[in-house]
Amino acid sequence: MTVERRIYAYRCRSCGTAHYPFRMRCRGCGNLEFFEFDAEPLPTAGTLLTFTHVHNLPAEYEVERLGLGVVELEGGMRVTGQIDIDRPELGMPVSGSVEVVRHEPYEDYWGLVFREG
Amino acid sequence: MRSVYVAGIGITTFGRLEYPLAEIAAYPAMMAMKDAGLTDVEQVYVANMGGGRINHQTGLASAVVDTLSLTPAGAEVIENGPASGASALKQGVLAVGSGMYDVVLVTGAERMREVNNLDATDFIATLTHPLSEYVYGVTLPAHAAMFTRLYMAKYGVTERHLAMVAVKNQNQAMANEFAHLQQNITIEGILDSPEAMTNNPYVAEPLRFFDCCPVSDGGACLMLVSEDAMAGVDRPWVRLAGVGQATDSHAVAERADPTELTAVRLAAERSFAMAGCGPADVDVAELHDAFTILEIAESEEAGFFGKGEGHLALEQGETALGGSLPINVSGGLKGRGHPVGATGIAQAHEIVTQLRHEAGARQVDDAAIGFTCNFGGFGNNVVCLTFVRER
Repeated sequence: MTVERRIYAYRCRSCGTAHYPFRMRCRGCGNLEFFEFDAEPLPTAGTLLTFTHVHNLPAEYEVERLGLGVVELEGGMRVTGQIDIDRPELGMPVSGSVEVVRHEPYEDYWGLVFREG
Repeated sequence: MRSVYVAGIGITTFGRLEYPLAEIAAYPAMMAMKDAGLTDVEQVYVANMGGGRINHQTGLASAVVDTLSLTPAGAEVIENGPASGASALKQGVLAVGSGMYDVVLVTGAERMREVNNLDATDFIATLTHPLSEYVYGVTLPAHAAMFTRLYMAKYGVTERHLAMVAVKNQNQAMANEFAHLQQNITIEGILDSPEAMTNNPYVAEPLRFFDCCPVSDGGACLMLVSEDAMAGVDRPWVRLAGVGQATDSHAVAERADPTELTAVRLAAERSFAMAGCGPADVDVAELHDAFTILEIAESEEAGFFGKGEGHLALEQGETALGGSLPINVSGGLKGRGHPVGATGIAQAHEIVTQLRHEAGARQVDDAAIGFTCNFGGFGNNVVCLTFVRER
């Protein structure tokens, strides 16, 4: 059995505002009750809003350059992720999958990697 | 609230400094006390971001106050990322303005070149959102690059405009003896010549090496005093008249319009409202050009130029020395350098020097009102200050 990895948004049970990343207090209604959020998987399809290729990388990245982008997901939420696209363009349709985005000794971090399509 | 005056100023040379962090903070404080002719200091604020992380020094304010033999004065570190300096000045204004103290030293220091470039970049990247930005390898140059790409698409800013900011500020630094970079550059050398890609490689596309400020050590200090204390000081009367601060979402992707720096706009508005003046009244400004695009964008958000028109003002020479609003005549972060905790105070140091009419070859004629924008995170936390020469 394989477990599908997802990144989750947090939707306020009082007013329905969705948040990513998590914040303790809803920025829609300001509700002061704790943990009044439902986790729901972020959509993976979206459009590429902006991007860069970074050349001076943190030490643990053993690649020549790293693609990063901001993606507007279906439904309107925006996330930052890595991009694996040779020739990115503004407004390009992309789809994301959850992969290892950072290796540190004894620890892998998972996040969204977007590709064209 | 009582009026708050700048009685004394001091600064170190920026670049690589081979002495301890506490002394980098104390040296400009000594200069500020000498400048003002005042030593009865009641409180010391020390702006610093990374002492605990990169210099293995915590409790920095206690070290600085004792290095200056100012015990038992009060002392605290103020950490607000790259806006620590202006945040510490804000605390100084509150301390004097409230009537609690009459004489306060606000000194800032950073010693970043103790670690290598990768570690320094990672240290700054720890400002980013841990789960939604940092894990992906997002750095401050990456944020600035993604912002630049949108600005280019929306407003027609080009790599040539960015290079014009780099040339203006880095060459202006030649007139500032305290500046880190002391090397003239040309558009030819960093953009047009066949060697430009070697001289000026991409750091985070479309930003290149010369679009980014250097990593610097340095310190700067202002002594803030009440009107009563200022009466005994034989220096021009420069008032720290306006303090404005605003915050924005930690994760940059969440912002409604990714080409706006809302916190800059709000912080500038609040600073001007407190000072009782507006952007049209400003004679000289120091903006937080950690990346060339930020000088252009901040000059718009602060209200000096219309949105999307900052690069046009740059083209016309309006932001150069001799223009309608000289920006970063000190060299800015780009030329003077960016020891993160000290930067906001170094900006203020330049404005006070300008308003005292003591800036020599880089003096803006008849400067009477000056403005600083100190930009923390990628616009998460911005502090703007307005200074007015009274007499």
